[in-house]
Amino acid sequence: MPTENLSDKRMSKFKNKGKEPTKMRDRRIAECVELRKAHKVEGIMKRRNISSVGDEEPLSPEYNTDNKQVISEAIQEIVANVNNECPEKQRQGCQAARKLLSRERNPPLKEIVEAGLLTRFVEFLGRNDDPTLQFEAAWSLTNVASGTSWHTQQVVEHGAVPAFIALLASPMLNISEQAVWALGNIAGDGPSYRDALIDCGVIPALLARLTPDAPVGYLRNLTWTLSNLCRNKNPFPRFSAVQQMLPSIIQLLHHSDKSILSDACWAISYLTDGPNERIDVVIKTGVLPRLVELLGFEELAVVTPALRSIGNIVSGSDLQTQAAIDAGVLSALPLLMRHPKSSVQKEAAWAVSNIAAGPCQQIQQLITCGLLAPLVDLLRNGDFKTQREAVWAVTNYTSGGTVDQVVHLVKCGALEAILNLLQAKDAKTVLVILDAINNIFLAAEKLGEVDKLCLLVEEVGGLDRIEFLQNHENNAVYRAAQALIEKYFSEVAGYRCT
Amino acid sequence: MFVTDIRKEFYDVVVNQRVALFVSPDIDALCACKVLQALFHCDQVQYTLVPVAGWQDLGTAFMEHKDLYINCSNVDLLETLQPEEDSVFFICDTHRPVDVVNVYNDTQIKLLIKQDDDLGVPSYDDIFRDDEEDEEEGEDSGNESDGSAEPSGKRRRYDEDALERRIERQRARREWEARRREILFDYEQYEFHGTSAALVMFELAWVMSKDTKDMLWWSVIGVTDQWVHDKIPHMKYVTDIATLQRHVSRHNHRNEDEENSLSIDCMRITFEYDLRLVLYQHWSLYESICNSCYTSCSFKLWSINGQKKLQEFLADMGLPLKQVRQKFNSMDMAIKENLREVIEESANKFSMKDIRVQTFAVHFGFKNRFLASDVVHAAAALLENVEKDETPADNFIKALDCLSRSNLERLHLGIDLAKRKLKAIQQTVASCICTNLILSQGPFLYCHLLEGTPDVKLFSKPLALTLLCKYLLKAFVCSTRNKRCKILPLIMAAPLDVEKGTVIVLGIPPESETSDKKNFFGRAFEKAAESTSSRTLHDHFDTSVIELKMEDRGKFLDALITLLS
Repeated sequence: MPTENLSDKRMSKFKNKGKEPTKMRDRRIAECVELRKAHKVEGIMKRRNISSVGDEEPLSPEYNTDNKQVISEAIQEIVANVNNECPEKQRQGCQAARKLLSRERNPPLKEIVEAGLLTRFVEFLGRNDDPTLQFEAAWSLTNVASGTSWHTQQVVEHGAVPAFIALLASPMLNISEQAVWALGNIAGDGPSYRDALIDCGVIPALLARLTPDAPVGYLRNLTWTLSNLCRNKNPFPRFSAVQQMLPSIIQLLHHSDKSILSDACWAISYLTDGPNERIDVVIKTGVLPRLVELLGFEELAVVTPALRSIGNIVSGSDLQTQAAIDAGVLSALPLLMRHPKSSVQKEAAWAVSNIAAGPCQQIQQLITCGLLAPLVDLLRNGDFKTQREAVWAVTNYTSGGTVDQVVHLVKCGALEAILNLLQAKDAKTVLVILDAINNIFLAAEKLGEVDKLCLLVEEVGGLDRIEFLQNHENNAVYRAAQALIEKYFSEVAGYRCT
Repeated sequence: MFVTDIRKEFYDVVVNQRVALFVSPDIDALCACKVLQALFHCDQVQYTLVPVAGWQDLGTAFMEHKDLYINCSNVDLLETLQPEEDSVFFICDTHRPVDVVNVYNDTQIKLLIKQDDDLGVPSYDDIFRDDEEDEEEGEDSGNESDGSAEPSGKRRRYDEDALERRIERQRARREWEARRREILFDYEQYEFHGTSAALVMFELAWVMSKDTKDMLWWSVIGVTDQWVHDKIPHMKYVTDIATLQRHVSRHNHRNEDEENSLSIDCMRITFEYDLRLVLYQHWSLYESICNSCYTSCSFKLWSINGQKKLQEFLADMGLPLKQVRQKFNSMDMAIKENLREVIEESANKFSMKDIRVQTFAVHFGFKNRFLASDVVHAAAALLENVEKDETPADNFIKALDCLSRSNLERLHLGIDLAKRKLKAIQQTVASCICTNLILSQGPFLYCHLLEGTPDVKLFSKPLALTLLCKYLLKAFVCSTRNKRCKILPLIMAAPLDVEKGTVIVLGIPPESETSDKKNFFGRAFEKAAESTSSRTLHDHFDTSVIELKMEDRGKFLDALITLLS
């Protein structure tokens, strides 16, 4: 994950000597989570922004209704029809509303809510005698709930939740599916509605529909809704709810449909994106081997969440990391580090950086499984975000590894690669690299080979770069660079003068 | 964006700023630079002059300096240099096509390029779309094509026919993108050159009524450089010369009347219909004929037959050999008097109908008379001097200096260097032709200079290699009997750095009188390097000049052959 939100405070913490790997990990997790959230919010903002852009392409008369007046006339007609006693009229009105809400650009969500139609729609959900009406109303409410939080709130406050949960049991598959969808939208709004749904007993009702003969399309929606029920934190979903859902999610994780697999994987990634107790619950289900297997899938939509889950798990305790290693993660990672997609490379490097933050036994396993070569490749050729993760991996490795292990890393070319990255514009990355260099020097001190290392650094042009950093505008960078120079390079210079 | 009012939008803006002038190493750029320097001098504009040999240079130079104006480039600058938002780039460039991003950037990139050049820039709507709807669609649909993003928390259900419309729209988008690729391909396929940068700068000075004879002379040299180094079609040369001629007569007219007549020591530019013999006034006529591309190719001087023909030609003119072989300056006045007519008459008999060409000459007093092409050769020789181990920047300054009237000594030095260079070219051409070093590879001709060939160091420089390439192709076309080979382009490789094991590779378009000088090798080189992952460096502003690792030459050429056939 990108580390651009690193605060200076964090960096000063990082500079502390004798840091514990677990703490470092925690910090990294927290920061990653923040970023992911920021990214999500950004995504939502984007969608909102775009939906406010005018619709320029009139496609058919029905959709050529951007004109405020036309829309308000249409809505008036809907209101009249929906409030009519005649079922035929009601169906007509409801369908017209659904069509308005289903158009691609600028659906009049707000106008429909403000016309007071929601009360009637929720009422229609209970009309077991008229499945068409139920279906149209469910669809309309689904689409309203897909809007902003305010829209979702309107739907919930009109009492749609119990009605939808009841509809889950509908014998009509399309109606039940629509209810699943609507509940997914409500659960996706955030932790409070998610928990409200759980309180209303949505989980047993959903799981009851999870049968082997359910059609794939239905299962896709169901998986997605379940994943939304696992999603979001502050607070996390209750342990009891997670326990309830997990077996089914694991079951879905063995499905053959790629979209179901993807959503199930995302669910696992949400559940592992938390404190170690949360991760423990997931590991105990024995899902790790399957996750590792999914890492080898071709579809990006599956690999991405699977890798994210694994990344979350190895950011847990040493034991949890070991469980992932035992499940064979290390044999899957090299391929992912060489994945054509840079986002995958980046996540893989992130996972490696967390494993490298473990005890030296785990570092040894990184070496044995041949992860250093792809890591050095990423340092050299990855895109910048990936390089940043790889740099973290090197820093963690050099701070936790034995002297021999550090020597091995240098021999693999990591030192030269990170020295090259000192030219990066991002001050935080530069600091992390300087820290790694410092660690490597500490190892060299233990071996009594500081001179040799100095020579190596100088040969590959590293000294020039470090010296150049003394002019860096960032104070911390300047000080770190100066400290390195003074500690290790001033003597060498002194020798030369004499 | 294109600057329409060069005075208001360019000069008046920079006149109050501190300017960094980035100049590429070719003669036209030097001349443009001279004109600007003179203008800046007048108005006391502070500037920093930075010679930049290629993209890497430009990158580092840019890191160190801050501001504007560049003299040769055709790539998306903002992307390449990542400048601060408040710096503005003025680009005066002869390279075509102009990068579309540079054309449509309204704030930071200002192009000082003559609009009447046939630019053929694709229209904005064809290559840019302002809306970013694809992103929205990707996220909303919940099944992103990419699949790497987190699924959205909420999804709206669309109508079935809405889905169809979306598919329809995606299809339209794909079509648009395919069309865009096609348009850009057509646009960027060929590399060629537009109006001389020096001429553009001169016209700026003229618009401001600040033009001087020196400036005019520099722009003459700039245009002549384009002709000498074969960058523009003949028609373009003739048109630009005509433009210059109008300026020349205007300047000459100014001093015609008796009272204001100037001393003979002053600078005088004249339009000439002069001989296509290089440096003949500073050499012997014989040497000049032997080392001029036009005559040596017409006679095929590399063969015994050719040498005989040359003797016949001299006899036909009735010039004593002794006179022909001695320094031009020391030739009998009687012979010199109507030399041009005599030569032309005989040349016609030897089917050299174009021995004379429109050009300009400059006189400083009685003693010094230079043809524009003489100066181009001298400056180019100084610019790419390899005899002493001088830095490129030193050579750049020397070449720049030799353009000043006050530095005639340096100009003469340059002329001596140019003579050596031209001889070397002639010898290399002769040896390549005689030993059949030019091979037909199917879609193009290929010639590789081996390490150890005399003067090979000289040809590691782009301008010298260009000249050699041009002479060689012409000589080959004259000597070969294979009709198919006459219409092929030529790729030439010469050793660049023995230690690093690199060669410089240059491609030029086929030789023909009516050639439009459009060069497709830039693109082809890029593609070939990409497909074979050859270690190449596309650093030069001319994309048809690249550096290549010696070991990768085989696969690179194979890829080129497959690509072009």
